[in-house]
Amino acid sequence: MTALTPMARRRGPVARAWAYVASFDGFTRAAIYVLAALIIAALLGSWFGLGGSPTDIVGRRLQPPSLAFPVGTDNLGRSVLPRLLAGVTTTLLLSAAAVVLAALIATISGIMAGYYGGRIGGTIMRIGDILCAFPAIVLAILVAAVVGPGSIAALASIVLVTVPLMTRMVGQAARQVAQREFITSAIISGVGTRTLMIRHILPNVAGTIAIQGTYALSVAILVEGGLSFLGYGVQVPHASLGLLVQEGAVYMVKAPWLILAPGAILVIAILAINLIGDSLRDRFDPREARSLT
Amino acid sequence: MRILRWLPGRLFSAVIVLLGASLLIFAAGRSLPGDYANTVLGPLSSEEARVELRESFGFDRSLPEQYVLWLRNALEGDFGLSLASQRPVREEIASRLPITALLAAMGMVLTIAIGVPLGVYAGCHVADGRRSAATRIVSTIGISLPEFVVGSVVVFLFSHFDFGLTVGTFVSPAEDFGAGIVSLLLPALVMAIPCIAATARATRNAVIDVLVEPHIAAAIARGETPGFIIRHHVLRNALIPVLTLTAIIMAYLLGGAIIVERVFNVPGLGSYLVLALGRRDYPVIQAVVLLTTAIFVLMSLLVDILTGIIDPRVAVTKAGPGA
Amino acid sequence: MSPIIDIENVTIEYPGNGARVLALDGATLRVDAGETVGLVGESGSGKTTLGLLAGRLLPRSARVTGGQLRIDGQDVLALDDQRLRALRRECLGYIPQDPVAALDPTMRIGRQLELVLHGLPSDTASLRHHLDSVQISEPDRVLRLFPHEISGGMAQRVMIAMAMARTPRLLVADEPTASLDSHVRTEVTKLIFNLAAKAGATVLWLSHDLRSVSRWCERVVVMYGGKVMEDGPAAQVLRHPTHPYTIALAASDPARAEPGQRIGTRPFDPAASGTEMPSAKLAVGGGR
Repeated sequence: MTALTPMARRRGPVARAWAYVASFDGFTRAAIYVLAALIIAALLGSWFGLGGSPTDIVGRRLQPPSLAFPVGTDNLGRSVLPRLLAGVTTTLLLSAAAVVLAALIATISGIMAGYYGGRIGGTIMRIGDILCAFPAIVLAILVAAVVGPGSIAALASIVLVTVPLMTRMVGQAARQVAQREFITSAIISGVGTRTLMIRHILPNVAGTIAIQGTYALSVAILVEGGLSFLGYGVQVPHASLGLLVQEGAVYMVKAPWLILAPGAILVIAILAINLIGDSLRDRFDPREARSLT
Repeated sequence: MRILRWLPGRLFSAVIVLLGASLLIFAAGRSLPGDYANTVLGPLSSEEARVELRESFGFDRSLPEQYVLWLRNALEGDFGLSLASQRPVREEIASRLPITALLAAMGMVLTIAIGVPLGVYAGCHVADGRRSAATRIVSTIGISLPEFVVGSVVVFLFSHFDFGLTVGTFVSPAEDFGAGIVSLLLPALVMAIPCIAATARATRNAVIDVLVEPHIAAAIARGETPGFIIRHHVLRNALIPVLTLTAIIMAYLLGGAIIVERVFNVPGLGSYLVLALGRRDYPVIQAVVLLTTAIFVLMSLLVDILTGIIDPRVAVTKAGPGA
Repeated sequence: MSPIIDIENVTIEYPGNGARVLALDGATLRVDAGETVGLVGESGSGKTTLGLLAGRLLPRSARVTGGQLRIDGQDVLALDDQRLRALRRECLGYIPQDPVAALDPTMRIGRQLELVLHGLPSDTASLRHHLDSVQISEPDRVLRLFPHEISGGMAQRVMIAMAMARTPRLLVADEPTASLDSHVRTEVTKLIFNLAAKAGATVLWLSHDLRSVSRWCERVVVMYGGKVMEDGPAAQVLRHPTHPYTIALAASDPARAEPGQRIGTRPFDPAASGTEMPSAKLAVGGGR
């Protein structure tokens, strides 16, 4: 973490967050702003009805973008802007919820695997290997077949797809920490296992969790998008970015904005998250560390 | 042989992973609602016919027995009957698997043929900050382009404007190999874009890491030319981390094929799977998922063996695919 | 006869944190062909920079801001890439500090030696001959091994074979025994000097160990702060050091300390002598 000067310590959390954002390079800052703008717009849309109602039919079908309908209308005559905002909300909420769940599972199992090693660690890693043997979308389809199409399928798929890699990375980091001297001395001085894991190991693998969580978020958006695009993720009348792309693909020739708008937002969101992930990795895991073999 | 020291362990872990995956697929199939015989034969069928069918598929036995039977049949290529068509799943797979395999192989060839040279070039020309920032942003954009978005946009562009290539019209490579390849070119490229970007980036980083190694400095001190050093020392060493990535890319391509086949109307395994999911055709879902997983596990095994050949230091048994 | 090394008042800068760092600060060194010269100084003294300078092998960030440099009569700083490579190939031989790292980890020793020999005979008999010449007892077995499978001493012998393969006129050895086990150091050192003498090559031996250098080299050059502080026959420099830094270096040699005596750590004050260098711990004789 960046060392905070005494001055920064006295400032409020908002100022400190601002200072943290300012410490990144230009691309990353731009990515953070874009993502923040996307989240704020989505929240404004779903809580305060910015851009109108996502479900009401308000005009003629397939109208090109105009002042009244900034992103045009869809095949039923609904305004696309509120549907886009609703789609962003669904996609981000679903992905974020799934990633938080995945991070929780991966943190617990990764720290256990890294700390205990041996049979427990081996078993955890083996289960992860088995899940890794399925290509992401294939696993998502299998999940959708069992639990039925819908948001739950998307959520469960994201968790199952992202948990193995996160567990492995957290496990590796925890293993390195567990071998350090301060852990040994903590064990000698009689610190309990749970305290050891929470107070000593967890803070030292937090960086890994943050990096992997960020990457997992972009994978989550991809999986949700892919599954919804195939028609087995989020279902109508709800909206998600993947679903909007699929709907738009049908009217591509007559109304290209129907696919270009959600497609562009999807790409921008993934791009922003990947840029942030790269910066976090550079910060927590500088290049020198990699040549130490 | 050096390989023999770690290969048995690696083979064993591949078998464990495959068994685990098959168990998961089997469990998924059995946890589904509905009676198989009822679904296959329809509600009007006689009870005797149903019993006979259940027996012929071993549904009257215990679950472990059923699993063993299912797995043994699958190993022999017998995946049962499709619920939708009442025909052996195997027939449909036999006609569709080559198409998906060709699509994925083309994606892989494009990934390596474009990604590796790009990465080597970028790695050997790490110049001023502005240029490496451009490399970073371009490769990140590439990685962030999902195939269902790019694919749809490509279909739109090619159907709206005349680029000399038609999209959505699939030509079977079995009938006309050349035309088949051409018709798969765009789908392969669409799903290869993120892989090309990821490969180029990984290659670039690997090259940068190799270039600072003392053995490169030693070669420079001996007066070797840059071309000689890249050919003999940099490529070989940089290939090791890139090879590890190709296993992950293989999984991405196998998954990407499902979406791309849907977008471009390619009658491969992927569109079969999506079709089966829509019809709740479980034997087909099980078969295709098992097959895809097996292909991926075998490919990662192959990648590990290749890595072992190139990197003599590999002595540890690498657990699992894509590690 | 023109000197093989003719370095005249060379200054080299590195961009540092904020300020520039002078790696060489008006260094002057002239070495005649066939001499064996020990270049002694602590890390940061500029000896490694000087060794790399001979083959223009400095990192890209380094800038030569003054002085003249001729190796074997050629103006190294003015050579085009092709001539520079020819100089490195035909005239220079480098022996690295860490020989295992200096070998390509993915290639068998035999194949690497073969690549080094391109243009020269490289059949199995020649490869075996090259390993024989560095006293490797089972050349056939070693040719088939990978770098991680051989010891540091063995790897250094291979590096010596590679360096001597083209009979260089100038051999630059940068602490070639620092990473080796103590019992093979003498053997490897002896090997290098014997082979160099047989080939008539000049040896530039970089070390921080004044005492062991004076045992092997005819001449000792002491560097500090990017400058040559003292230059003369080995015996004279060791026994009658004139420069205060050399006195400190000679005095800090643990081999000279009486049992129980505290080893002196640089009573020399660089500020007093007008050199500006980041303070570095004085390396004590005998290597790490």
